[in-house]
Amino acid sequence: MARRRRILQYGIGGLLCLFAVLYLFPFVWMAAMSLKPDAEIYSGHVFPAAPTLEQYRRLFFGYEFKGLTLVVPYLDYYKNTVFVTVVSLALVLLTDALAAYGFAKFQFRGKELLFWLMIGTMLLPLYATLIPTFWLFSKIGLINRYSALILPGVVDAYGIFLLRQYMQTIPNELIDAAKVDGAGPFRIFWKIIVPLSRPALGTLAIFRFLFVWNDYLWPLVVLRKEEMFTLAVGIANMEMRQGMVVWGGQMAASVLATLPVIALVLLMQRQFLRGLTMGAFKA
Amino acid sequence: MTSLSGIYPRPEVVSPGAPAPLPRRGRGLTPYLFISPFYLGFVLFQLLPIAFSLYLSLVEWNGGPAMQFVGLGNFRTLIADAKFWNAFRVTLIITVACTLLGTIGALLLAVLLERVADWLAGLLRVIFFLPSVTSVVVIAYVWRQLYSTDYGYFNTLLEGMGLARQNWLGDPQLQLAALIVMLIWAGLGWDALIITAGLRSIPPELYDAAKVDGANEWSEFWGITLPLLRPTLTFVLVTGVIFLWGIFAQPQLLTGGGELRESQTIALYLYDVGFRYHKFGYASGMAVVLSLIMFVSGYLNFRFVKADVEY
Repeated sequence: MARRRRILQYGIGGLLCLFAVLYLFPFVWMAAMSLKPDAEIYSGHVFPAAPTLEQYRRLFFGYEFKGLTLVVPYLDYYKNTVFVTVVSLALVLLTDALAAYGFAKFQFRGKELLFWLMIGTMLLPLYATLIPTFWLFSKIGLINRYSALILPGVVDAYGIFLLRQYMQTIPNELIDAAKVDGAGPFRIFWKIIVPLSRPALGTLAIFRFLFVWNDYLWPLVVLRKEEMFTLAVGIANMEMRQGMVVWGGQMAASVLATLPVIALVLLMQRQFLRGLTMGAFKA
Repeated sequence: MTSLSGIYPRPEVVSPGAPAPLPRRGRGLTPYLFISPFYLGFVLFQLLPIAFSLYLSLVEWNGGPAMQFVGLGNFRTLIADAKFWNAFRVTLIITVACTLLGTIGALLLAVLLERVADWLAGLLRVIFFLPSVTSVVVIAYVWRQLYSTDYGYFNTLLEGMGLARQNWLGDPQLQLAALIVMLIWAGLGWDALIITAGLRSIPPELYDAAKVDGANEWSEFWGITLPLLRPTLTFVLVTGVIFLWGIFAQPQLLTGGGELRESQTIALYLYDVGFRYHKFGYASGMAVVLSLIMFVSGYLNFRFVKADVEY
């Protein structure tokens, strides 16, 4: 019986490993393609015979094509994405934590109404606000600006949920004790609530990072100038501007854009599972 | 499924005043100060745009000074618009195929992953999770290369087996299938991880009790696992259908919607109408309808799967 069980376990393990190798193939293709010299791009073989970093070099230094030097402002894409992600994360975490604390530990007039209003609109798709928000930003001249990329994304009701739920578990006695010591509400927030909510803030930060880093539709709508493109919009645009030669460069650009998120997953494996179970799947 | 909102873990919806009554802390304005930064953005970028969107769905407007009120005219046009119904059909096929196959696949994967040694399961979970964190642009372009008619790997494989090359992304029938395969691949690990969390929340005593009663694994799965997994599956299905009805980037980048709109989803059509032809009124009307479709199909899934979960 135990032996049959063990054989079954190995069988399933082997099967899953095989499946995982096939499953990974698109990533293997991406990495292999990014290391190929031009001559091998369409060779039909997956792995390069003479691997080179040429495709990566061109992303930053451009390349010569029929006497012209073509440049993709890839470094700009990268800088823009990093900047937008960092600012956006800081703003979202701050506004979410403030609001979550307000909902978790205070009683006030209109609380129920404000709360349900937030939930109600949270369920609406992006498309419900896309056109008016675009119009608003073009009207006040913020197209092609960082603020257009960052501001709408700061409204994050999901994050408030997660944090509020977590903050509710912080004992009121801690807050009362700090109050007796003469701490004001914002001091309490900063010195007690924020440090104690660190795990929840961490989880939120991860999910938010992934969302902003990879966001595509909104940046596509508000960005026109190439120097302002984020990685997602920039890589998508590479296809259109240079036709066929671009396979290798596109994959090199993709590899560099994907490395930070893969590193994040590897470093934060635990937090991911915890994040997903945080909502506790109760009926 | 990775999506704008789907990327979040499920928050538990509890009425804000539900637990023990809160002592009043802070006087007067304090709580409002805490929530005001959020609500400032909320009003500007959520509430007002929604209201404006609803209004726009009743007008004809190209963004210029002239805005003409047409009542329900946009919706009447929509009902008679063959391009809209085509997009509806395309999106429906994608939604049904991906949720059905994707959820079954993810369930199978999650259950099997529980059966292997922990270290291996951990490694495999990371592998299956990778597409969920990868940019949709990257995913779509890698698959575009794999599907490419002339130099794509799938056709190289077919040729190696002595079969004919296929025009994966051009053929009217194949392009939808190609899109669906990519979407299932991309969403599998995410769904499996959520189902794993659901599996872990089933009390192990139930299985022990069933073993005492002489149940085999098959009857355990149907008798215990599946019924107790219902809330989790509900969540996967509801977020899945909402995400899929709104799908935009993947078809746009993989096929561009197809030469003859063979893979043009509602969101793609909406984007075309709004941002290419600047028919903001009509596009807003479509956004209202799309929101309704998402709401209704999410609700139907909820009712259908969630029915009598008491345990």
